Amino acid sequence: MLKKTIVFTGIFWWLLMMAVIIVNAQTKLGTVVIHFSHTANQQPLQFNDSVYANDFGERYTISKLKYYVGAFKLDEKNLSLGFDKYVLVDANQTENKIIAQLPEGNYHSIQFKLGVDSTDNCSGAQTGALDPLNSMFWTWNSGYIFLKLEGNSSASTAPDGRIEHHIGGYKDSMNVASTIRLADNIAIEAGKAKDIYISFNLDRYWNAASKIKIKETPVCMSPGFLAKTIAANFNAIFSIGSKTITY
Amino acid sequence: MYISAKDEHHQPSPLKFDIPKGWPKPSKNIFAKNKLTEEGFQLGRKLFYDGNLSADGEVSCASCHQQFAAFANYDHDLSHGVNNALSIRNAPALINVAWMDLLHWDGAINHLEVQPLAPLTNPIEMGESLENVLKKLKKDTAYIRMFTAAFGDAEINSQRMLKAMAQFVSSLVSSNSKYDKVMRGEAQFTDYEQRGYETFKRNCNGCHKEPLFTDNRMRNNGQHLNKKLDIGFQAISLRSEDSLKFKVPTLRNVQLTFPYMHDGHIYSLFQVIDHYSKNIDTTQTRLDPILKKKINISNKERIELVYFLYTLTDSSFVRNNRFAADHITTIKNPHHPQLVN
Ligand code: HEC
Ligand code: HEC
Repeated sequence: MLKKTIVFTGIFWWLLMMAVIIVNAQTKLGTVVIHFSHTANQQPLQFNDSVYANDFGERYTISKLKYYVGAFKLDEKNLSLGFDKYVLVDANQTENKIIAQLPEGNYHSIQFKLGVDSTDNCSGAQTGALDPLNSMFWTWNSGYIFLKLEGNSSASTAPDGRIEHHIGGYKDSMNVASTIRLADNIAIEAGKAKDIYISFNLDRYWNAASKIKIKETPVCMSPGFLAKTIAANFNAIFSIGSKTITY
Repeated sequence: MYISAKDEHHQPSPLKFDIPKGWPKPSKNIFAKNKLTEEGFQLGRKLFYDGNLSADGEVSCASCHQQFAAFANYDHDLSHGVNNALSIRNAPALINVAWMDLLHWDGAINHLEVQPLAPLTNPIEMGESLENVLKKLKKDTAYIRMFTAAFGDAEINSQRMLKAMAQFVSSLVSSNSKYDKVMRGEAQFTDYEQRGYETFKRNCNGCHKEPLFTDNRMRNNGQHLNKKLDIGFQAISLRSEDSLKFKVPTLRNVQLTFPYMHDGHIYSLFQVIDHYSKNIDTTQTRLDPILKKKINISNKERIELVYFLYTLTDSSFVRNNRFAADHITTIKNPHHPQLVN
């Protein structure tokens, strides 16, 4: 009886190892490099100095634009970001790129989440992208700020003409984590790197499903109705850009 | 500073978190991702008593949470922070916090580990940036040694600091009052206390539920809106039905934690009872259903009830050296209230 079990276990392990070897031989991996870039008025976003205008004719400058992205997928294939689950994109950084490996093939869409999952909002002290040191955590009302946009505008009614949008919220009716899905033909070839350029268009931040006028909404600092109204535009902000955007 | 190879490979000594007999398990296991150890606890204790964590070097956690007051702020309706700024709420006692799902009077904080970020960075409490706090810790050889002992290497980061603080604060368990001794069959209530206990069970236990003396829920106990227009849980949940709801506080050590309520506007337990029997704002639509029926408490019952509440004082908790500062503390007002039992 015991001998039989040993023989069977032996065969089982042999089959399993063969299966692993076959799968490994067949899935050739390619690399995808996802770049985030930011534009306003069709120009690469410049901090502090450049003055832009939204569709309502309100002029503004930007001093900060940061947001969390995660849960990347090409079609149904999850991309592993390695150790961290989220990346904090900082538009004031010269480069925001995410590198991942995945099986070769022709893919038709890329998907990612803007924001932080509700469980990661309630799991205590974190490190990496979610370290509260990144100033993307509300200390007085626990939860992550998913997107932080700050700047100035003559249209703003807040002190010193400030614009302060801290957008977040993970609880049921206040949840603003948004899934962004962009269609494109993405061919991943084994042993090669494919660049994907995702563009954040600030013009659409103000004007898409919701009309966000700086005069009416210079400040949003907590989860709730206003944050939801602004987040309704998140889907329209992103597009797959062309490689020609240069800095 | 020299860290010996032996120190680097030293394993921190695990501590067991004891759940007192007959108590429920904490609903959230805060130790699952934060292993309770002696070294982590000691580091948390040092951080808790360290005024250097604040902007002006004067205000520590213990300035507002004093052990002799069961870690509430003795005789302060509102607490003073850096530069003598006043906070808008009363500092609650820190007792059996490991059992709480939500923290702060309005339930705004969803995890004990992130709670210290609020006082540390609040300009009217400790007024410091997280970045600066970590900078100060990294310069301090005692901290380098203690972080190494607690976490295996000398890295000092926000997560480790916050986890150590959570280890200390969650260890503040009070379960040895006269009430507990009576429940364990080691002591007996006096007749007064026994009758007070009956009155308590009839009128208060619905919210201040034994054995924690709180059900840890957000409820409206019929107070008027204060001058600071503090609407409580509604500001967090954004639901009108949560107007003027506050977290039900534990009544353990309540004799020592005056003044009472979220804004500390009630100074004595007798007045608290008068609130429930006479002053409840019954016009409030969101008043807790339990309090819609009038509470009748005679003058005699009122005194008995207070005697019972005194049995919740745990002198071994407020005198436990393990919870005290190592040496110097920043407490400027060391009057001890009278302890019974
Ligand atoms: C300036 C006074 C002050 C200081 C300093 C202070 N606290 Fe507090 N603490 C308060 C007040 C006030 C509250 C209630 C806050 C609220 O409800 O909005 C509170 C609430 C808490 C709570 C929640 C208790 C409960 O039952 O919900 C914990 C835990 C706590 N503090 C721990 C700390 C720690 C740890 C530190 C040091 C990092 C600290 N406190 C520093 C005043 C202070
Ligand atoms: C409907 C639920 C409910 C009932 C019943 C109730 N309480 Fe409370 N109690 C609360 C809430 C909620 C608070 C906090 C309110 C606040 O901070 O504004 C509180 C606060 C207190 C406090 C202040 C504690 C502190 O640390 O500040 C005391 C003392 C107290 N209650 C005693 C009693 C007594 C005695 C009874 C019975 C006569 C009772 N309560 C009945 C909900 C209740």
